[in-house]
Amino acid sequence: MSTAVAMKPVHRLTGFMPLIALVALVAALTVADPDFLTQRSLIAVARTAAPLIVLAAGATLVVLCGGIDLSIAALASLSTVFLALWLPELGGLATPAVILVAAAIGAAQGAAHVLLRIPSFIVTLGGMAILSAVALVISGAGTVRVVDDSTIHWLDLYLAGYVPMSAAMAVLVVALIAVVLTVTPLRSWIAATGYSESAARLAGTPVDLVKIGAFCVSGGCAGLAAVMLVSRQFSGGPTMADNLLLPAVAAIVVGGTAITGGHGSVWRSFAGALVVTLLRVGLPIVGVPSAYEQILYGAIIVVAVALTLDRAKVSTVK
Amino acid sequence: MSVPALEVRGLVKHYPGVKALDGVDLVVRRNEVLGLAGENGAGKSTLLKALVGLVAPDAGSIHVRGEPVRLRSVVDAADHGIGMVFQEQSLVPNLTAAENIVLGSEGPAVRRGVYRWEVMRRLAQEQLDKIGSRIDPLARTDSLSFADRQMVEIAKVLRIEERTQHPPVVILDEPTSVLEPKEIDTLFAQIRRLREFATVIFVSHRLDEVLDVCDRVTVLRGGRSVGEVATAGAVPRELHRMMIGSTGSDDHYHENAATTVVSEEPRLSVRGLSGATFRDISFDVARGEIVAIVGVHGSGREDVCRALFGAEPTTAGEIRMDGRTIELPSTRAACAAGIGYVPAERKIEGMVGPMSVAENMTLAKQRARLAGPFVAPRKQATLVDSWIRRLSIRTPGRDTPIQRLSGGNQQKVILARWLVAGDVRLLLLDHPTRGLDIGARSEVYRLMRELAATGVATVLLGDSLEEAIGMADRILVMTDGRVATEVACPNGGKPSPLDLVKEMV
Repeated sequence: MSTAVAMKPVHRLTGFMPLIALVALVAALTVADPDFLTQRSLIAVARTAAPLIVLAAGATLVVLCGGIDLSIAALASLSTVFLALWLPELGGLATPAVILVAAAIGAAQGAAHVLLRIPSFIVTLGGMAILSAVALVISGAGTVRVVDDSTIHWLDLYLAGYVPMSAAMAVLVVALIAVVLTVTPLRSWIAATGYSESAARLAGTPVDLVKIGAFCVSGGCAGLAAVMLVSRQFSGGPTMADNLLLPAVAAIVVGGTAITGGHGSVWRSFAGALVVTLLRVGLPIVGVPSAYEQILYGAIIVVAVALTLDRAKVSTVK
Repeated sequence: MSVPALEVRGLVKHYPGVKALDGVDLVVRRNEVLGLAGENGAGKSTLLKALVGLVAPDAGSIHVRGEPVRLRSVVDAADHGIGMVFQEQSLVPNLTAAENIVLGSEGPAVRRGVYRWEVMRRLAQEQLDKIGSRIDPLARTDSLSFADRQMVEIAKVLRIEERTQHPPVVILDEPTSVLEPKEIDTLFAQIRRLREFATVIFVSHRLDEVLDVCDRVTVLRGGRSVGEVATAGAVPRELHRMMIGSTGSDDHYHENAATTVVSEEPRLSVRGLSGATFRDISFDVARGEIVAIVGVHGSGREDVCRALFGAEPTTAGEIRMDGRTIELPSTRAACAAGIGYVPAERKIEGMVGPMSVAENMTLAKQRARLAGPFVAPRKQATLVDSWIRRLSIRTPGRDTPIQRLSGGNQQKVILARWLVAGDVRLLLLDHPTRGLDIGARSEVYRLMRELAATGVATVLLGDSLEEAIGMADRILVMTDGRVATEVACPNGGKPSPLDLVKEMV
């Protein structure tokens, strides 16, 4: 009867939207190609999804704070170059070194955003260009081959023979972020910052630190995604991860995290990343040339944001 | 008797967990000024929204000049001659007054998608002439005073006259809450003039205003109309009694509970504080003392209050808490020093609307709900529930988003935010009762007294002079960014509002 009462189940339903989309996609792909639901192709999906999940999870924190990190893909590309260059000398230490450097670069962008009061969109857009150029310069504008990949090979192995290690790592990272947010005040702080920065500030919330921290985690996740890419491809390249920016943003918004901040979670982005990966894998199955992929991402982002924004409006009108 | 301009019969509106309207009846006669009074949550806002098509009622009917109507949108309502001046001003600040007046129904002011400035100016001028306003239609809206902007809004609303053959119904929702006393007089003159050719519904929390400007008052309580008062000869207390359903306490400001201040080392000590809009501010506040700062709009008192909390940059000066200097520019430092701040803009700066009551209440003092570095859900539940009980906060539960609560209950949550850790030593209250009804106000006052009794010092920017006088032990009068004078305000020796006004201008 009353619209407000009727809203409630609908609102609850939208929380499951990414999951529903996921199930629907798997069903549709199975119908289109009965071979899809085999162990081999599912493993392939999981391996493809892993770096995307990690990238999206990190950037979700920035979006939850009300910002956006457009530099994640460029930073991941740069990190693949770092890793490929450092592996011969640092060996096993190369992986943590790359993740730390990437996290530091993320934090630096966050600090620029917060301290110089520049919109995060501009800081990371500039950062994206700068990081891409640095990657080109230090790689000599070419692929850097990894001769001895013994120290990162484990990421390309399988857990219990079936589960790709990289996918397991991705789930672990998402779970870790989710748990840390839930059991500490961070979730309140991030949500308050994203929903209403002025209110958060006037309640004494460490808004600046929270934002810099979010950018730092986003950078670190880009570094980890780079390690996953290198372990699969035995090389690093200055544009290796560049084509992951749009899918990562798409994963976040498809998951239902509000681009305006506050509302959302890393689990939503996890589901969103799987949806995006399935679409990517599924296009050739249903006979669409992969050249159309970008159209898909562009459309997904616009439609998903339109839907999430609409819901936000409904809740304020109420 | 002629057909009423507007009649509401048995209107019902449910929200989850709340019956906002429970069969409300309302009759508005032609060319009268009808007041609506009621506490927060009595259903005033919902009723007004139903009248302009923003809320679809679950049951009941609305009749315009005897005809039943269904109002689906603001445009729909305007077609029936009903328009509202919204509580939050709805003008676009960087457009001219004329553009704002024609905005949404440009008519002849736009031809082939292009503004015809001369036509627009003339249209706007006609509207402004109706209310006898001398505002320049080509002035940018953000260059106008609040009061002038309100005139522009009224002029804008009166354009609904063009859509109907009958006198329009103009709804004014809390029009006085942002105005200075002198501006309120102008507004009231305007309302009396409106009565000549329109019907007015007037809503204010200030009962004296309602009685002053209205012909008749309908009182709402719990989503029903509980009575009607002809304003001639009525006194605020009578109305108040109807609103709360019982005899109101005579001791509105709980003056009996006021504690005597023993002079000792001051809790807060401000020396030579200067900033963009204030200079050389020095004063002390003792433990358990309530100091009110009064001043006209632009006196700089709001900025002083924010500066004390580290939310406004300062150029010079020193703030000491219990003798210890605190770093000026940070809200973090202020919080750590035991300072709590309740901002005037509750919805924007106070609460985080979509977050739960519990999260809002523990936002500033996370420590109170943590065990080690972790949130302890049971500790949080016990803590939040105990404060919900202590302050009798009316909420379906601690996990309800705070934006679903009524204004008074929201404010109590924001106040509780500073109390949960039990370490608050100074409260900065910037218009803590703005937009609250009498019952909620009284509860806030009681809480302030209780806190003062435990030694909490308070700096109060009152919503009215009466409030400042009623609550304060001492009053600082600010003019042009300086403390002009200090007035002692002890129980039994309260200054009159007139005395203070003399110092303020």
